[in-house]
Amino acid sequence: MSTPLLRVQGVTKKYGPNTVLNDVSFEIGKSEVVGLLGDNGAGKSTLVKIMSGVVDATAGEFFWDGTKIENINREKTEELGVETIFQDSALVPQMSITRNIFMGREITNKLGLMKIKEMDAITADVLDSVVTIEGIKSPKQLVSSLSGGQAQAVAIARAVHFKRSLLILDEPTSALAVRATEALLDYLRQLKGEGVSSVLVTHNLHHAYQVCDRHIVMNHGRKILDVRKEDTTVEELTAAVVGGAEGIRRYREGKK
Amino acid sequence: MSNRPPGEKKPVLQAPLATEAITQVKRLSDKQPTTFIGRMKNELQFIRGRGAFEISIVLAVLLIGYIVASVISPTGFAFLNPNNLSGVISQSIPVLAILGLAAGILMIAGEFDLSLGPAITFNAIVFIKFSESFGLAAGIIGGILSGVFIALVNGSIVVFTRIPSFIATLGMSFFWAGASIFVNGTTPAILTKSRDEVMVFLFAQDFGSFRSQLVWLLILGVLAWFFLHRHKLGNHIFAVGGNESAAEAISINSKKIKLIAFATFGGLVGFASILIAVRTSSMQPGGSATQDFTLFAIAAAVVGGTSLNGGRGSVIGIIVGAALIELIRNGLLLAKAPGFYITLFVGITIVIASIFNKVMEGKAR
Ligand SMILES: Nc1ncnc2c1ncn2[C@@H]1O[C@H](COP(=O)(O)OP(=O)(O)O)[C@@H](O)[C@H]1O
Ligand SMILES: [Mg+2]
Repeated sequence: MSTPLLRVQGVTKKYGPNTVLNDVSFEIGKSEVVGLLGDNGAGKSTLVKIMSGVVDATAGEFFWDGTKIENINREKTEELGVETIFQDSALVPQMSITRNIFMGREITNKLGLMKIKEMDAITADVLDSVVTIEGIKSPKQLVSSLSGGQAQAVAIARAVHFKRSLLILDEPTSALAVRATEALLDYLRQLKGEGVSSVLVTHNLHHAYQVCDRHIVMNHGRKILDVRKEDTTVEELTAAVVGGAEGIRRYREGKK
Repeated sequence: MSNRPPGEKKPVLQAPLATEAITQVKRLSDKQPTTFIGRMKNELQFIRGRGAFEISIVLAVLLIGYIVASVISPTGFAFLNPNNLSGVISQSIPVLAILGLAAGILMIAGEFDLSLGPAITFNAIVFIKFSESFGLAAGIIGGILSGVFIALVNGSIVVFTRIPSFIATLGMSFFWAGASIFVNGTTPAILTKSRDEVMVFLFAQDFGSFRSQLVWLLILGVLAWFFLHRHKLGNHIFAVGGNESAAEAISINSKKIKLIAFATFGGLVGFASILIAVRTSSMQPGGSATQDFTLFAIAAAVVGGTSLNGGRGSVIGIIVGAALIELIRNGLLLAKAPGFYITLFVGITIVIASIFNKVMEGKAR
């Protein structure tokens, strides 16, 4: 296999006395869809935040296309083209859809004044081409006036619009209706064709199994399984998520 | 899909409804108004829920009431008396509005500065001393930079220690009050030879129907509007105040943005300090003379629809809020109400405005 897009080596994260991530290492290949699975509290979101550069790891190294990233932070990952939909804290409710989509990446003139009309037009376009969620009336609508599903769609639209090399989605479908979820999974498959890698965090194993090329299962801050799709089954993934390392052992023994 | 033109990109989250074949779903980009009137209507619809519109109506009603009362009884309620008008509209309102804008910008970023009053005293003393010793230009620059400096000291404490700004700046308000006595002793700083025609023309001239201060409010109001509502830094201030972790997740440096908000606050307070110093010609160290401004500035912002939790507020709302407070104060004075009435009514206004804000926030949610 060629050099992975991102290699994470020995990531440990401590919050006070609690070790939330314990010596986690893995790779994300180019054009690969990776499923990051695990029960609530396994450390998935923390890992996503560290990979995205918004939270500092206690220890660990990161290699982008083979080159070490020193002092990973959000500015650097943004430069590299990493786009993340965070599970919490994605949008600012008091701001309009347009201002949320372009937050931190405003289209401005030389003086730094925003080109609002242009941003509104692009937002309308992005929402049209990315999501067909009913009930969004205008790009100027405040996010606080949207439903959970609509807000999640806006967050997805933003990430899809700005993604360049790696798209990380932390539980992106929790508020989406079934059909929209299916459509998002379809889109992830299609992204592979465009040369974009993605990481899908979910505790819905069936979603993950449908689209991911590889599955990483986390349990209490440790990586307990890292398998390609063709080497595993939904049953084994279920055993790993529910029973941890012990669950995998019992599942494999049971199969013998 | 059948009702979309061929060759168009397939929506990512397209969720075709069974009924879509019969109910043509209009695209969002086609739905946006193209005419000027249409756009204005659209603006208004989505700008509602931010309070500025409603508070303007309250102000208009109050003004009409005052004008009627003054026409009926020109001596009993001398609102339309030119002296009164110029005093309120051109002196009190501009100063409070500029201070309200300062406090409001900081509140939108999610912070407060309770040392505003003592900071005015300190800035005014710097302005007076520099003007007397080195001339007007040095005085102006000194007064404004003094405001920026004080705010950045306060802001750094808040941002880097993460102590709530209420507590940190409450403590600092005593520090700056003491500092003004430290630099000037206990006797007032007085503008004498430097208070020449140029200084008065710039900051306190009576042009008959208006004064210099009103011109400054217009200039600073327009600048503040562009900064807050049209500049990307303003957008970041709203983002950081509205949801700090969402802003950081998108690589906005919230510490930097908060310090920018503090510095802007300080610059505006420094400027207002100059207006106050030129009008009164002297400043008593210790801060008791300017104490009231701290809470009145926050009150103007709150009455104008600024959220106490950050992330919400508008320049127009804050200016209208300041005007409303000063008009109520003026009306009570004209009606010869005892002094405590004024504090009492301003207090009630603030509480009502906060309740109203809360309701508006609930509606916007
Ligand atoms: N900021 C934080 N401070 C302290 N503990 C945290 C923090 N963020 C997450 N944790 C803890 O880390 C563990 C893993 O959380 P998280 O990464 O959100 O898991 P997951 O996304 O897999 O459900 C949890 O026990 C959680 O309480
Ligand atoms: Mg999580």
